[in-house]
Amino acid sequence: MSVVEIRGLCKKYGSNVVLDHLDLDIEEGDVVAIIGPSGTGKSTLLRSINLLEKPEEGTIRINNKVINLTTRSAKEKLELRRYTEMVFQQFNLFKNRTALENVMEGLTVVKKIKKSEAKRIAEKQLEKVGMSDRLSHYPRHLSGGQQQRVAIARALAMEPKLLLMDEPTSALDPELVSEVLVTIKKAATEGNTILLVTHEMNFVKNVANRIIFLENGKIVADGTPKQIFDNPDNERLKEFLVKIHMLENTEYAI
Amino acid sequence: MSNIFDWQLVFTEIPLLLKYLPVTIQLTLIALIIGWVAGLFIAIVKIHRIPVLKQLCTLFVSVVRGTPIIVQLYLTYFGIPIFLKYYNFYNGTSYNVNGIPPIIFAIVALGLNQSAFDSETIRAAIQSVEKGQVEAAKSLGMNGLQIFFRVLLPQAVTVAIPSLGNSLIGLVKGTSLAFTCSVVEITAQGKILAGNSYRYFEVYCSLAIIYWVITIFIERLFTYIEKKMSVPEQIAEKKEA
Repeated sequence: MSVVEIRGLCKKYGSNVVLDHLDLDIEEGDVVAIIGPSGTGKSTLLRSINLLEKPEEGTIRINNKVINLTTRSAKEKLELRRYTEMVFQQFNLFKNRTALENVMEGLTVVKKIKKSEAKRIAEKQLEKVGMSDRLSHYPRHLSGGQQQRVAIARALAMEPKLLLMDEPTSALDPELVSEVLVTIKKAATEGNTILLVTHEMNFVKNVANRIIFLENGKIVADGTPKQIFDNPDNERLKEFLVKIHMLENTEYAI
Repeated sequence: MSNIFDWQLVFTEIPLLLKYLPVTIQLTLIALIIGWVAGLFIAIVKIHRIPVLKQLCTLFVSVVRGTPIIVQLYLTYFGIPIFLKYYNFYNGTSYNVNGIPPIIFAIVALGLNQSAFDSETIRAAIQSVEKGQVEAAKSLGMNGLQIFFRVLLPQAVTVAIPSLGNSLIGLVKGTSLAFTCSVVEITAQGKILAGNSYRYFEVYCSLAIIYWVITIFIERLFTYIEKKMSVPEQIAEKKEA
């Protein structure tokens, strides 16, 4: 049984249809990567699941609770956000709080966990992402890669049913990308369910167990990395892979 | 010639003036609190673009910023009694205008004046906090109030502190006009003293010294707060969270 079921998700910006009656099931422990040309609604999909965007239609079943994605009830919104956590492209750490305080924030404020206990959890999570020696550093004193690792720790500390990652390495200097990818891989092997938007194709190939190719708001191809990269059966997918140099030895290859 | 300027009087008068310092401080502090609370309210209305209220607030800010404070003091001093008379007439009540202590008029006028100026500072400061941090807080499951008080306000205050300090200094000096509402604070007391001795210049020298010292104190205080609140330049060696 899937841990997340999305049904009929629609999102428009004016007359521009970004997500078109999209259905998506995610199994527990899955690492699902979303790939596709820019402007096809990859980020919008993630943000709609967390209600950072307001979809026009759609429902989600998560943790055996069905929530309408168009809900106006603050209680339902908070409940859905409690099951999901987002890791952003720009890290979005709280600038006035230290690394430790950033991770503790959701634990004490949202989950109402006692401070001492929250501190223990936060330290454990920061240790996992290799930031134990930077607990009292403010975001401005951390590199982009370090900030993103703290952001991942902050999300994981909340024990989400579904971890959403919106291009987590796109804002990083090339030399800092790998430390974040290692962290994500670790989170994946620990059994977290992850929905990931990324352009790191080699990483996707190694870590994801399922890849979704999104175009014009629709899922065009859906399969294992092997199916997607080695035997693409869809013309649009082939074209896309050629453009990003992931498909070799085809008639399209340059 | 020795009598043209009595410099000793400048200093001997200071204690006499300081007797009324509590009135000046009372005016300042209450107007300051009204200014910050109402200013925050106006800022929130403007940020969330609440219909009708937003237009009213914009009009209010425009009028208050566009008229001199002394005119505003006169308007409240004469306006509130007239309003009360109308109110009594139409509602059959008998509220007594003379029952209102004059200091209330001055506090209302100074507080509203302060709120108009501070609202813009507060609005800009709140909007200077990156949207991404609000999204991160939402994603963690924080509700609107939690986001406001834990994410937006602490960072906005850091940004707003220098301007708020500036406007507080303006307010302290603005209280010197409260005599128009027949409130006796240090400036009014100075005028009374000078009226007896005809030593106007000496009294104004004393007043200048007092206001300047108060201002220096406020400057120091706000510099200290700013330093305390902002994220340290240097990496902390060890900090207990």
